[in-house]
Amino acid sequence: MIDNFSILLSHGWLIFAFWMLTRSETLDREPPPPLDAEPDGFGKRQTLRGKPRSKESAADA
Amino acid sequence: MRDLVFVAYVAAILLLAFKRPFIFTLVYAYIDICSPQRLSYFMLNSVPLSLIVFGLAVLGFLVSDDKQNVRVSPRWALLVVLLIYCGYTTTVAVEPVAALEKWAWVWKALVFAAFLPLTLTTRLRIEALMLTMVLCVSALIVTGGIKTLAGGGGYGVLVLLIYDNSGLFEGSIISCVAITVIPLIIWLAKHGTIFKPDWRVKGYALALIFSCMLIPVGTQARTGLICIAVLGILLLRFVKYRLVYLGAIALLGAVSIPFLPASMTQRAETIKDYKQDESAYTRIAIWQWTWEFAKTHPMGGGFSSYLQNRIQYDIKHKQDPNNPYDDYMEEGETKQIVDAGRAFHSSYFEMLGEQGYPGLVIWLIIHVGGIWRMEMLSRLYRRRKREDEEWVAPLATALQNAHIIYLVGCLFVGIAFQPFVYMLVALQISLDTYLARRRKEAAWRPIKSLRLHANSSDGKAAAAV
Repeated sequence: MIDNFSILLSHGWLIFAFWMLTRSETLDREPPPPLDAEPDGFGKRQTLRGKPRSKESAADA
Repeated sequence: MRDLVFVAYVAAILLLAFKRPFIFTLVYAYIDICSPQRLSYFMLNSVPLSLIVFGLAVLGFLVSDDKQNVRVSPRWALLVVLLIYCGYTTTVAVEPVAALEKWAWVWKALVFAAFLPLTLTTRLRIEALMLTMVLCVSALIVTGGIKTLAGGGGYGVLVLLIYDNSGLFEGSIISCVAITVIPLIIWLAKHGTIFKPDWRVKGYALALIFSCMLIPVGTQARTGLICIAVLGILLLRFVKYRLVYLGAIALLGAVSIPFLPASMTQRAETIKDYKQDESAYTRIAIWQWTWEFAKTHPMGGGFSSYLQNRIQYDIKHKQDPNNPYDDYMEEGETKQIVDAGRAFHSSYFEMLGEQGYPGLVIWLIIHVGGIWRMEMLSRLYRRRKREDEEWVAPLATALQNAHIIYLVGCLFVGIAFQPFVYMLVALQISLDTYLARRRKEAAWRPIKSLRLHANSSDGKAAAAV
């Protein structure tokens, strides 16, 4: 009884989610993201570590 | 009757998948986690269901997906290397028959994990896989939670849908996985787009989290208790009011202990009292054996090499008051335990014993590398502060927390090749490569370069004319 309830609940949600996905426009393709804002200083760009490049390192480069 | 229902259900979701072929990938994940073949009696068992659905998923990817968005990462390459290496160790395994049995499901898990990043190319697809994983595991968690509340739990007693002691149906494994999915449930309840986070979704998520927490209580698996403690510590990192959080945890702990079954608190006590606990002592003996085994088999003994172990150790006897026949020895008297063919009881030692040092190193890079990459992404996207990317940092943190819980839980359980965990790894790789592509698409370009780009495009167009 409890097992059947659990199966019914989880499987019900799952098929509902799949049905919602079939109606989604962004499942296979997404619109391009909005462009980043212009950096607030010459040569500043975000590195993967999230820190903007310092002026010294930008000048060295 | 149950067979007919399952056949109809699988047919229905396959029908939906023909409309959007990516759903075949989700259906495969469902079959892998829920095992409808095991839940039904004979009809679904008679066809190679997972093979057919995996074939359809690959076909769907080849026919309908935009391959321009496909990206891979070094960790993806390592997954492939691990697959090849496991194939090699299987050919030289010390237990060839048992090794082939394990290889038969491990290669599928690794191939599917390597396939996922090729097809998880949009945010919605990443979310859809996460939701599928959570809902599939919830089939076991909801039943386990209700049975625990009704007093039907106990070590090795709690039956989750079927009487089976393998895969996610095993007590220690499900208690580790149940806690692992909690960060994913929290993220889905806050940032999900398939089910919009309204009061109903949040209410269901809360109930599911409660059910997840009950699984270690119901299975009485100590691994789960350790995982809950790790989750508590991890959540502390991003909590706004830490003292209030700590106070609430302490209060919750104090209030819930009297409601826990006595057998549960007795079993939890054995975590610190390992000298009298045979299970804990066996683990240590197995790990010592594996360490020595790796010295003679540095490249690995192949799958199920633990079958070769023969262990012997002394332990202090602890009398069991519930066992009337337990009067042959005095409390505290030393007894000798002899055992053979005991499983590794740790994923780290499982990798060392089965895949040797190279396999362990590859495995560690895949997993620890995942935690490191999620940390990088989380930090980067917390700093970017773009409105359309608000979901990213919490997702990276959720995947990281889930992975840390798994890595701590698997210290005591041999789940190095658990397919569910490789889906988690694939989610991380997919998120990483997806975000790298989106960052490139969104990157600011100076007007000059945009003009140059436009001119060169015009030139190419003119040349073509």
